[in-house]
Amino acid sequence: MAMFSQNPIMNGPSYSFNDAPKTNTPEGARQHRFDPYTDNGGSTLAIAGADFTIMAGDTRLTSGYSINSRYHPKVFKIGGTTADQKDATLVLSVVGFSADGEALKERLDTICKMYRYRHGKPMSVKACAQRLSTILYQKRFFPYYAYAILGGLDEEGKGAVYSYDPVGSYEREQCRTGGAAASLIMPFLDNQVNFKNQYEPGSGEGHALEERARRPLTRQEVEVLVKDAFDGAVERHIEVGDGLQMMVITKEGIEEILLPLKKD
Amino acid sequence: MEFGKSGFLNEDGIHVDMDRLKNGEVNLGTSIMAITFKDGVILGADSRTTTGAYIANRVTDKLTRVHDTIWCCRSGSAADTQAVADIVQYQLGLFSMQSGKPPTTQTAASIFQEICYANKDRLSAGLIIAGWDERHGGQVYSIPLGGSLHKQPYAIGGSGSTYIYGFCDANWREGMEEADAVGFVKEALKEAIKWDGSSGGVIRMVVLTAKGADRHLYLPDTDYTVRHN
Amino acid sequence: MPGFDFSNYNRNAALCARGMSLPKATSTGTTIVGCIFDGGVVIAADTRATSGPIVADKNCEKLHYISPNIWCAGAGTAADTEFTTALISSQLELHSLSTGRKPRVVTCMTMLKQHLFRYQGHIGAYLVVAGVDPTGTHLFTVHAHGSTDKLPYVTMGSGSLAAMSVFESSWKSNLTQEEAIDLCSKAILAGIFNDLGSGSNVDVAIITPEKTTLKRNHITPNQRVPKLGNYVFRRGTTAVLNEKVIRKEELGNFVSIHEMTEEADKMEVDT
Repeated sequence: MAMFSQNPIMNGPSYSFNDAPKTNTPEGARQHRFDPYTDNGGSTLAIAGADFTIMAGDTRLTSGYSINSRYHPKVFKIGGTTADQKDATLVLSVVGFSADGEALKERLDTICKMYRYRHGKPMSVKACAQRLSTILYQKRFFPYYAYAILGGLDEEGKGAVYSYDPVGSYEREQCRTGGAAASLIMPFLDNQVNFKNQYEPGSGEGHALEERARRPLTRQEVEVLVKDAFDGAVERHIEVGDGLQMMVITKEGIEEILLPLKKD
Repeated sequence: MEFGKSGFLNEDGIHVDMDRLKNGEVNLGTSIMAITFKDGVILGADSRTTTGAYIANRVTDKLTRVHDTIWCCRSGSAADTQAVADIVQYQLGLFSMQSGKPPTTQTAASIFQEICYANKDRLSAGLIIAGWDERHGGQVYSIPLGGSLHKQPYAIGGSGSTYIYGFCDANWREGMEEADAVGFVKEALKEAIKWDGSSGGVIRMVVLTAKGADRHLYLPDTDYTVRHN
Repeated sequence: MPGFDFSNYNRNAALCARGMSLPKATSTGTTIVGCIFDGGVVIAADTRATSGPIVADKNCEKLHYISPNIWCAGAGTAADTEFTTALISSQLELHSLSTGRKPRVVTCMTMLKQHLFRYQGHIGAYLVVAGVDPTGTHLFTVHAHGSTDKLPYVTMGSGSLAAMSVFESSWKSNLTQEEAIDLCSKAILAGIFNDLGSGSNVDVAIITPEKTTLKRNHITPNQRVPKLGNYVFRRGTTAVLNEKVIRKEELGNFVSIHEMTEEADKMEVDT
């Protein structure tokens, strides 16, 4: 087909301004269109340790100024063989539009299960991360309105966190927050996990000052950081609160912790 | 503060923004009416005030005194109708003090019309003025949205009135006895409340005769049968 | 009549037409309520102020003074509620001084509604007006467009539905003072926990013919949970690129100095 020819001349006029959205619509002439998205608020957080990963999210579900649920999980075990996901090895957190988030979770879970039945082993985080990116990009022009974070242990047993934008751009990171209070929590994490903006006292003058050396955090340290991060977010963001759900992924399995947050 | 997106600072002076009331303004969804009968007039109204779907006041008094025996029924924007009624009440008070005699219903209606017509592009007020005076007895005037003035034997207004045009046309009679007239207003408003979602609550009435103003109150608990107060 | 400065209106309208958004005002998302009891009136409010989804103030005051026997609870645009109540308070005091009578609640309500009506809803003040005057106990609501209602119990703000549900299920006539305080507090708590625009603490004001009692932070159900970690940084953690010392004696060369007492400039700081 000429459209896909390598010769640009043969492709013909491949685009025009006809489809561009009309601006300068006269005032009063309102455009009505289907708006299928809602922002259900909430926040998620993931931190990778040396031999563990912690995934967390608050459990409040909102729309506008209303609380739809005080316990609606955003963090899910993925790819187990049973209904209670007791042998799962991966965790997915989703925040944004909860219906899309759940649909995304169901699809990824199914794919992970199929993989497990066909290959006789659970999917690696790396493979699952790539597959999730593909799923998101397939809906490039009608995206899942969800900010996903995938967590697990990599082939070497190290903590792994992969974060996504709604259309599938992804990256492996040490830590990441998503959702409503992301802009409140992320700077705190940069400072406390990666020691950003911290220098070694007395190691030099001005620009010669040495950055504080990074070291892997212990599980206890990370759990404290997560709780404090959410307690802080709850104080200043109205869509975050009620409960804190944490999943700790180690080689022994996945442990789930539920803690209370402020309810106002 | 909100601006238009057109870049023109002023309205063209011709087109009226009909969405004006929709931005969270308090609205009297309303069923209102006023009728003449043998001895004078009766005003009647439901008591529901809404902001969107929320009932901001379920026992509103939409029957407002502007002089001892001249009252009005308010529909449309609560703020606009209260402001207009306040101005007219002031004007009539001043009038009666200066002239030493009570104003006629026609005078009151005329002042109402003046305000409603001069500010027709800024007001959403549908009013019914009813009164009793020594010269003309009971009279009913209706001032719909544009600010025109209509003298009528009876008038109905508000969103609920659309449901009772047939009822009123079939049942209203010239020169009813007071008890029959009260019964007629009550039955008409009961129907309006039943079918109109924006109307509801209690039924309030004011009977204006040579003896002055007499208030009636009927509650939905007793299906509006028992008169309280 | 003191008025607003409209000198930037044309510029702002032009900028707006080119797609610039207007600055966001702090809104008191808010639950405010009021309730009459035998011998007086109670008004109450939550203490959260928001700017979009962010909590701008965790413990703001939404109960405004009008006169010793008239108080106002405000919802809507924070600045509008503060300035409108302050303006009317001032005018009412002058009015009271010139007439030689105690200020009345209806006077206050009428001044508020006429002021707000003049500005056609552009002044976003939603108020609960309450007070006791020589004519009795009164409770009103005033909406931004200038409409008023007179009721035995009222709620306003984004939490008004949650609060009204408490009143509609628990209110009875002839409440005692304690019962009224309790009912209003419960209504505010319903707003605090079920409306995202409302939060933190409950403020209450009780007005009787004898006196007005303002109970600031009457209930504090949302105390901050203590941090688990330690976030004290070692001295020298922050890089210092250059340093300049200005001695107190030289300070006058840079700024004008007014000596103040120690108490005067204390402010609340999160520890």
